[in-house]
Amino acid sequence: MLTKFIETMRQRISRPLQYYADICVRCGACVEACHFYVASGNPAHIPAYRMMLVKKLLQQGGNGRGILDWYRETGRIDDQTVTEIRHALWECTGCRRCAVFCPFHLDTGLLVNTGRYALLQEGLGMEMTAEIGNAELSKGEIVDALKEFYVEQVRELEGRLREEWGVPDLRIPVDQAGARVLYVPVVGEHAIIPLAKIFHAAKENWTLSLFTATNHSYFVGDIPKAKQVAHWIVDEARRLGVQVIAYAECGHATRTLLQYFDHWFGEELAGIQRMSVVQLVAQYLAEGRIRVRPGTFTMPLTYHDPCNLGRNAGIYEEPRALIRAVATDFRELTPGRELNWCCGGGGGMIAEPDMLEVRIKAGRPKVEQIQRTGARVVVTACENCKTQLADLSERYGLGWEIKGAVDIVADALVM
Amino acid sequence: MELLAFVFYYITPYIAVVVFFGGLAYRVYRWWKKPPVAAHLSLFPRPQSRLGRLLDTLVDMFTLKGLFRVNKPLWLGGFIMHLGLLFVLVGHIRAFTDFYFLWKLLGWGKEEQYLFSAIAGTTAGTLFTIPLFYLLARRLSGAVKWLSVPEDFFALILLISIALTGFHMRLLHHVEVEELHRFFAGLASFRWQPPPTSTGSSFIYHFAFAQLLMVYFPFSKFTHTIGSVLSKMVARS
Repeated sequence: MLTKFIETMRQRISRPLQYYADICVRCGACVEACHFYVASGNPAHIPAYRMMLVKKLLQQGGNGRGILDWYRETGRIDDQTVTEIRHALWECTGCRRCAVFCPFHLDTGLLVNTGRYALLQEGLGMEMTAEIGNAELSKGEIVDALKEFYVEQVRELEGRLREEWGVPDLRIPVDQAGARVLYVPVVGEHAIIPLAKIFHAAKENWTLSLFTATNHSYFVGDIPKAKQVAHWIVDEARRLGVQVIAYAECGHATRTLLQYFDHWFGEELAGIQRMSVVQLVAQYLAEGRIRVRPGTFTMPLTYHDPCNLGRNAGIYEEPRALIRAVATDFRELTPGRELNWCCGGGGGMIAEPDMLEVRIKAGRPKVEQIQRTGARVVVTACENCKTQLADLSERYGLGWEIKGAVDIVADALVM
Repeated sequence: MELLAFVFYYITPYIAVVVFFGGLAYRVYRWWKKPPVAAHLSLFPRPQSRLGRLLDTLVDMFTLKGLFRVNKPLWLGGFIMHLGLLFVLVGHIRAFTDFYFLWKLLGWGKEEQYLFSAIAGTTAGTLFTIPLFYLLARRLSGAVKWLSVPEDFFALILLISIALTGFHMRLLHHVEVEELHRFFAGLASFRWQPPPTSTGSSFIYHFAFAQLLMVYFPFSKFTHTIGSVLSKMVARS
């Protein structure tokens, strides 16, 4: 059992992961950090325990009776082990809150990312996410065939918005060579509409990407595929000659953009700036390129730092600047910023119908935290967080309004 | 017993030193051999400049400020234990040489030196030992119990054994450091000298446990001594 997992894991173990495994002292500082553990009480959800499980499997080789096996607690692998390892590696949002708590900052996100790929080789779980990843990968090969249809749809949207907003010169450029900004959305027009409005008001020379920012291969730890999917976008940016790649409000994609791209693509990115669209819009606001109506939002409002924008990318101030410009009753979460509770919906779980109950449960610390602020509007800047928060609001009967950081700017925009 | 004592006095110390340094080198080599991750594993916020990040890492190393923020009891236990350990290690320099310069500067004779060492050594040993019992006790219940494997108990009990045999020498015997100097100089120069007698029976146990620790060190979680510096730097990269 788990032989493929062990084999793959041994091949894929990286330098930091190797010393993480060697130096974890199992002090337990991470116990209270994990929303999964706090909600479930299941030891397999404790970050250090996740590491212990993987380590135990990697040390297999004895017969389970020797003194070394007793010492390392490497017994036989049974169904119980398989169940535990699945809990440990799939039920994690990779939020890295535990890495902040860990005195050594050991990165359980990295362990889970590597481990998931190894579990997939064993045929254990999250096939749906992996499949979406494959679809994203093949889109790059057939994009020319899809282009006509896509442009047609965008034109339709453009026409509708012109009428709705009374802005006859509104444009949603697609595949526009010489644009300054390449905006890469996520699936769905909700990711395009507010930006069409903001870019128009800022008189930005922009173009819409033919691709989406999402990268499901990254969720399942298939880094070569994730890199190829991201490469379609780098190709597009170079072909069009843009100066800025701006990613939609999408957590994991933003993390790849800001933390992986220069390792993956190096020189290919020369002269191209990379940022979250939240940062870009905050720039417009700071430079006075757009104007908003202050006090557009008067009801109690809070901001949920998505792990991939906050802890994992350091985008803390920009969304707050946007909120302060349009809202009068902004309430911070406690603990906040890098100690903010994860929403419980990250790590690709949104795509898996089977994971719904798990993530609703894991969202409990988040729910309690938001309830304490009394906020009616929850602003965030990640597609996964938005979906999860909406699900939490519905399931716990909370009636929150969930908004993106760019949505509230679009709502308050002076055209 | 005579033979066993002889082995621990004159044979295994060499093995311990070789395994300790060789093992640590092997450990680091094993880490180095693995491919790096093609990503920044940074945690934010972190200082902007390279120097700022290095300083932040050092401050965190010496204060464990990251842990202080999230878990005060564990910080107190861990911090005091490591602080006591640092003092104890500094004090053990006297087993091999002495703070001649310091004594001269202070104008202290043998009596004052001994009194100071007794007070400082006992304090440092206490700072080191009491938290070890706390760290052991918290492994016996709650969630930390799930996280505790035999290795964790072995490490703590080994450290406690070294500490207690050390206390035995410190509190019940009047150790002549010159005896120790002669003995260790003999080991270092392969011109063996008789073992110290002023230390009483504890010395051989203390010495043997310390050797066991040295041999065990590179193959255990004690490697966090080196590894945590790497991981702390990676998190600020």
